[in-house]
Amino acid sequence: MIIKITKLGYSEAAGLALVFIGTKAFLGYPRLISQLGFTAGWLIILISVFVSMGFWLILSALLAKYPGESLLAINEKVMGSKIGLGINMLLFVYIMLSTGSLLRQFSEAVILTALPEAPVSAVAVLFLIPAWMAAHLGLEAISRSTYISLPFILVGVLVVLLSLYPYWNIEELYPILGAGLGPVVKYGFLNSSVFGEVIILAILASYFSFRTKTLRKVGLFSLVFVGIYFILITVVHLMVIPMPMATESITPFYQLSRAIYLGRYYQRLESVFVIFWTFTAYLRLAIGVMVVALIIRDSFKIPYYQPILPAISLIIFSLALTPTDVLKAVAFERDFRLPYGWVVNFAVPCAVWGVAVLTGKKGRRSRYNGERE
Amino acid sequence: MGNRQDNGGEGSSQQKERDQQEKQGGLFFEGIKAGLSLLVFKEKTPVDNFILEGVDERKQEKRQKEDVAAIRTGEGDKLGKEARGRERKLRKKESRMNKKPMRVKRLSEPGEVITLANLLVSPELKVNKEYLETIFSLPENKDFVLREFKIFSDKPTDAFVLFMEGMAERRTVNEGVLKPLMLFAGGKDSNIDITGSKMAEYIKEHVVYGNQVDIEEKYEDIVEKVNYGGTAVFIDGCPRCILVETKGWDRRPIGKSETEQIIWGPQEAFNETLRSNTGLIRKSIRNTNLMTELIKVGVQNRTDVAVMYMKNIANPRLVEEVKRRIEAVSSDYVGESGMLEQFIEDHPFMPVPQIMATERPDRVVAFLLEGKVAILIDGNPHVLIVPTTFFSLLQTPEDYYLRLPYGNLLRLLRIVAMFIATTLPAVYVAITTFHQEMIPTDLILAIAAARETVPLPTVVEVFMMEFAFELIREAGLRVPGVIGNTLGIVGALILGQAAVQAGIVSPILIIIVAVTGLASFSIPNYSMAFALRGIRFLFTILAAAFGFLGVSAVFFIILSSLSSMKSFGVPLLVPKGPKTKTESDVVLRGPVWSMEERPDYLDTLNRRRQPRISRKWTVESEKRGDDN
Repeated sequence: MIIKITKLGYSEAAGLALVFIGTKAFLGYPRLISQLGFTAGWLIILISVFVSMGFWLILSALLAKYPGESLLAINEKVMGSKIGLGINMLLFVYIMLSTGSLLRQFSEAVILTALPEAPVSAVAVLFLIPAWMAAHLGLEAISRSTYISLPFILVGVLVVLLSLYPYWNIEELYPILGAGLGPVVKYGFLNSSVFGEVIILAILASYFSFRTKTLRKVGLFSLVFVGIYFILITVVHLMVIPMPMATESITPFYQLSRAIYLGRYYQRLESVFVIFWTFTAYLRLAIGVMVVALIIRDSFKIPYYQPILPAISLIIFSLALTPTDVLKAVAFERDFRLPYGWVVNFAVPCAVWGVAVLTGKKGRRSRYNGERE
Repeated sequence: MGNRQDNGGEGSSQQKERDQQEKQGGLFFEGIKAGLSLLVFKEKTPVDNFILEGVDERKQEKRQKEDVAAIRTGEGDKLGKEARGRERKLRKKESRMNKKPMRVKRLSEPGEVITLANLLVSPELKVNKEYLETIFSLPENKDFVLREFKIFSDKPTDAFVLFMEGMAERRTVNEGVLKPLMLFAGGKDSNIDITGSKMAEYIKEHVVYGNQVDIEEKYEDIVEKVNYGGTAVFIDGCPRCILVETKGWDRRPIGKSETEQIIWGPQEAFNETLRSNTGLIRKSIRNTNLMTELIKVGVQNRTDVAVMYMKNIANPRLVEEVKRRIEAVSSDYVGESGMLEQFIEDHPFMPVPQIMATERPDRVVAFLLEGKVAILIDGNPHVLIVPTTFFSLLQTPEDYYLRLPYGNLLRLLRIVAMFIATTLPAVYVAITTFHQEMIPTDLILAIAAARETVPLPTVVEVFMMEFAFELIREAGLRVPGVIGNTLGIVGALILGQAAVQAGIVSPILIIIVAVTGLASFSIPNYSMAFALRGIRFLFTILAAAFGFLGVSAVFFIILSSLSSMKSFGVPLLVPKGPKTKTESDVVLRGPVWSMEERPDYLDTLNRRRQPRISRKWTVESEKRGDDN
């Protein structure tokens, strides 16, 4: 068996986290936020960024206690092999479900925006096969592609937002507190579930070449960066598509790019931006498939993850096609991820941290530190 | 009994049939297995495991010191034992190398197995002649000339020379070897009466003119040199052979570069002779640190492969890995750089090349000084450079020779060309098939009007024209030169014009295909241009099926496979994926004087290329620039 140690730098780590969390902006996220907080959607995001930064600090304290080890190994070490395995499986199920749901939403979005007559399964397959291929090539390949394409994606988003400048109407952001202080604070806390996906940095901690202290900074940077970028999109969305209508679109980002009109030749560019967000979707799905496969491999201590990729892809495909229609698939965000996501991503690791502090278990370098291929 | 026999006979025939069926079934299953094996995950070969890293010299030194100390103290500890073991092995190896081969008997004796490796020159001239006649199949093999003569002296000695017609220069053989031996060897003051092995020494020192003269006694070495244009002199009574370097065959003169033309900068290109190629490189790097190591490849053709690198710059691990891979190639014939490339590259099935081939000495020189390794193959004008990065495949030497703004303009143009060459037909197919709303109304009306008479779907049109274009390109290359020009005109003008008039394709498509073709010609690396041509079809097929989603899928697949590729331990997409420290020379480049360090990913021994302030005239005091 050839053991190849994969070590990623901090730029690649940040890229992974940014794409893993940020891809939702291309789907219904701006709409969901407007539904929850009306014109104060951006305030919800601001609050949840701070909440999740707090949670992340606790999470990174847990990681700092066991330097060089992944969250999976720490869970097993602190909680014992059985409960630890249970927690790892919880993470596995959560990421599996969220990746499946994203796959469905992306497929539906493609059908809505670009290929109205394509069957959803065909589009889903075309999303899954490249993601599977990339996962087969390894974490290195995915993280590098992510890092390389990130500037292009960010520039693409900025171009859309800036091209809408003629339609920016700041008055649409009033009243500042939107749905009121109560809902804003409540959803500000719950919305941290969205940022909770920063947990992949903890899951992949053993593949990074830098120290835990840097990892903490990378996590904070990713949260702040994604937060700003979400706020920008939400604010522009609310300014360009005013409040009652903002809660109606299935694909707000597409609607934004559709609204661009800067002269006769700089218009109808939504199809060009389809390339941008489908590309991001590929990255996000590939990271999802990869992380799920690594969780299985590290939890069950099997030497390779490649042979289980077909099975994982098939399960994600089935999960994606389980909702009977697009609305049910979209409702997943509101009914499942929002209320429960933070439990899996933040509350459970915090509990593990509590146990680790109370029992005072010290870390040792992990047996399975590094990627084996 | 008979029945039984019959039964047995039947049984055996049935058995045979069954066997045959099983065999067929087995074959069938083996076929399925072979098919499945392509899909099923396999462990990677160890070659992927090589990652280029810096050499920790301190560790090596420490280990050597420990070894020496352990040997000196003679302690019985494990380390000492290990070190002594290593030393003993080394000595044993040396002693085996020093061992002389056995002197074998005459060929005519029956039952004697004689190989070339253990055959030595005999003192008897007749015996040597017999040996050579057997080895070179003389006189049937007309390429080898064996000329007998007598060495001029008081007591004329029998001798003969052997050389290969066509490889050895006739004039040198006559003037530098035969003439001195036949006319001047035994002058009045000469000591030509000395005999035995001293004779060879005497002739080497006093008689023959050749600038490279060796004395050999093993036939293995003699044969190798004669095969490569040397002339062997055998003398009666002397158990050694004098080998004079008389190489000289017809060669192509150094000409202009055919495949990598530039306007600004040196124009000369490599030719097919290894030694003139190494000379061209040495001419530009007048430095003793430039190393040329020769390795022989090809079991039958025994081609010389030269590995060139800068001893004080290149990472020793990289050099080791290059030599290891070349030495490990075991094949009958490796005679071309493209073949050697296929033998030593990391990912043989990927479209993008991982080794750069160039025919420009200036380019090789620049890469050598960067810390890369050049591989030259005898008989080949293309030199391989390893490791190679993706971005360097899109650059030309002219980018550096021209002033900064012009060089960058060219590079930007080429990047745009790369995207056009791969995606333009795909984007056209996607837009006209799925995303018509993207096109401004006037333009879409124009396209629709042009396509009105065309009965075929866009993708068929595109494939037809692309195919025709590739056909023109291939035919233009293979057609004899005289009618080549005519073909270009026929292909481009008449075919395109006629296709439009016949209503098979729309005029706008001709523009698309022509621009794509132009863009693909502007890719400087020949292999890379091939890769892009192939990828373009993949883009077009998926765009025809899924529109922009297909385009983005191919982008994603290509980017992730590029990110996973390595060239001799260096990721193909450095310095962007993974991110490494770099001077401003990736897609665009900075000013020449700002490139202070060699690329980080090569982990060179000497990192600094020039001091922080290389334009010392910009500072008033000369002391402010640190020295290199």
